Formats: sequence, C-alpha cells, structure tokens
Amino acid sequence: MSTGILLNATICFAIALSSFAFAWVLARDGKEHNEKSKPALWSLIVLWILVGLTYLPTTVRMIAAYMGNQQLDLFMYYIAAVPFSFVAVPLVFFILYVIIGDQKISGVISALFVLFGAAYLALFFSSGVIGPTITPLTSLFTINSDIAINIYLIGLFVIPTAMIIGLLFLIFLQRMPKRLRYRTALPLVAISFVFDFMLTDMITLDDAMQLAARIFVLIGTVQAFLAYFPPLTLQEKLGIQKYEYNLYEKEEDTEFDEYDEEEADINV
Amino acid sequence: MSDDIDVRLEQQVAEFYQSLGIHQGPGDIQYRLILKVLSKNEGKITEFSEIREYTDMFADKGSIGSKMKTIFQLEGLAEKVKRGGYTITDKGITASNFLKDTTAFYKKNKRMGEIIERMP
Repeated sequence: MSTGILLNATICFAIALSSFAFAWVLARDGKEHNEKSKPALWSLIVLWILVGLTYLPTTVRMIAAYMGNQQLDLFMYYIAAVPFSFVAVPLVFFILYVIIGDQKISGVISALFVLFGAAYLALFFSSGVIGPTITPLTSLFTINSDIAINIYLIGLFVIPTAMIIGLLFLIFLQRMPKRLRYRTALPLVAISFVFDFMLTDMITLDDAMQLAARIFVLIGTVQAFLAYFPPLTLQEKLGIQKYEYNLYEKEEDTEFDEYDEEEADINV
Repeated sequence: MSDDIDVRLEQQVAEFYQSLGIHQGPGDIQYRLILKVLSKNEGKITEFSEIREYTDMFADKGSIGSKMKTIFQLEGLAEKVKRGGYTITDKGITASNFLKDTTAFYKKNKRMGEIIERMP
C-alpha cells in the first residue's frame, strides 16, 4: 500500500490532536474570559471537539485503508459522519450569539441545524455509501443520496459560511484597533478555513483534492491557535503587542503639569 | 415630556464622548438637549420653559440661560425672537444634523463593542 495514505492518516491525526488540544486550552483558560463571552466560548470548544471527533475516526479509517481492512474503513466512515453532521450547530450558535447576544434565539436557531444534521444523517445511513475506492493517497466513499448532499451543502455549509462572511464584513467595515481586528477576524477566518475545507474533504471524489483539503483544515487549526495565542514575534511584526502598564515606572515626585524637555522643545 | 427626545440616551451619548475627552459639543448633555429641543421645534418658537423641561435634571436655569446666550445665540445656532422664545437657524440645523451623526456613531460603536465583548 502507498505511503500517501499514511501521510493522509498523519494529517488527520494532527488535525484531531490539535483540535482537541485547542478545545482543552480554551476550556482551561475559560476563567480569563468575561461572563458575556462564556456562551460563545463553550460553543467554540464544542466546535473544536466535534472537529477532533470527526478526524479521529478518519485517522483510523486511513490506517484501515492502508492495511486493506475495508470493513473498519466503512465503519469509521459512518462514525466520523456523526460528529461531522453537527459541526454546524455550535458554529451557528457562536456566530448568532456574537452578533445578537441573545442566548435563547441563538439556541433555537442552532437547534434547527440539529434537525438539518439529523436529516442528513438519516438520509446518509438509509441510502448508504458506495466504496471504498482506494487510491494512492486516500480511501474515498461516495454518498449514495443526492438529497443528503443537498441538505449537507445548503443547510450545513452555505448558511453558516454566509454567517461567517457576514460577521467578517461587519468587523472589516469598522475602524478598530489592530489588536482587536486581529483577535476577532483571525478566529473567524480560521473557523471558515476548517469548516469549508471539511466540506470539500467530505464530498470530493478526487484524492489529491481531499488531501489538499485536509492540509488546509490543519492550517485552519493552526491559524485558530495563532489567533488566540499569538507568539511574541508575530505580535511585534503585526504591531498588536499589548504592553503591560507596569513596564513604565512613574517617578513619585513627577507632577503632571511639569514640562518634559522633549515637550518644551516641541512647544515652540 | 415628549417621546421624541430620549434624555437617557442623550446622557449616555454625552458620557461616551466625555470618555473620549470631548467635553463640549457632543459631549455636553446641556448642548445636546437644547439643540434637540430647538430642532424638534424647527419653524416654530421654542419656549425657554420647554428647554428647561429636559435640562432641569442636569443644570439650573442660570447655566442654561448662559449657554443659550454664549453658545447658541453668539454662534448663530438660535435666534431670540421674543422674551424666552427662540428659533433654530440654518446653522443650528447643521449642528443638529451633526448631533444625529454623533448619536449614530455612538450606537454603531456600542454595538461593535458589545460584539467584541461577546467574542471569546
């Protein structure tokens, strides 16, 4: 069997691992966030857990494909479909809650996406899949239901993606400090990356495209990490560094109305 | 009191601008309320007592009278047409439009601030 599948398995494992790690770090640092952002934070944690739960069975699936175990491959494909179908739910809640700030309305609307996910799963399991087709890079399945794919495309992806784009526009149209812009836009771009390339991953029939989509999902996960925990060098380069106030120690006997030498030079 | 002028909102907007270091004009609650009352009565005479209905909770009669004289009349935003009666001028309407923009900016900024606050 080809080492391409092993590479694919490694990428899937990296996605699963980094998603779980990210969810864990977000949950661990939950106390640092304010009360108003808590519902959005937990929906984000659930989202990353679902991404991890989708790619963990996919890793096993790739290993099964490498070893030629088609039964396990198919079984893991079915398992991965379950968390995948509900990825849109926390995402919709997240976007709506951030925009409108009403937990109830956001909850009700995201519950609609549970129905979309359930409908997709029902059609998916009842119609079954065709495959697997083992290629040098991956193992592919074809969903044997056009309606399922339509529900999946429109309900689970087009609407949430449109919501992300809407929120991004809202942010980009505002003049705001660089740091805030980075802090709000990058997580959305990262989620959008992960979400949209997961779609490509699931419906594509081209092995190279699937592998590329998974690489982009991994990039999206890394982006999300960078959005929340930007390294110092990146902060310096982008000019988003947050300076601590205690870096500057004020002399006790300095009075506010005293002129600095510099100021005196400027005020000619 | 008329429903047209939301005193609470005007106070919040003024406080917002004060927090930005703008203590006069849009950051002055008295200025905001006087201009609001004057523009509400565009084409009619605004009685001083009507202005005081809104401003009494923030300032005494003397300081409102002084503001009417030193800012509104002196800068040509309002004209005194009789004892205790004023009309808004074209310049005053321009100032009033600017005030509306400051309220819109405050609302936009507040909405965005809330969105950012909800972002984890």
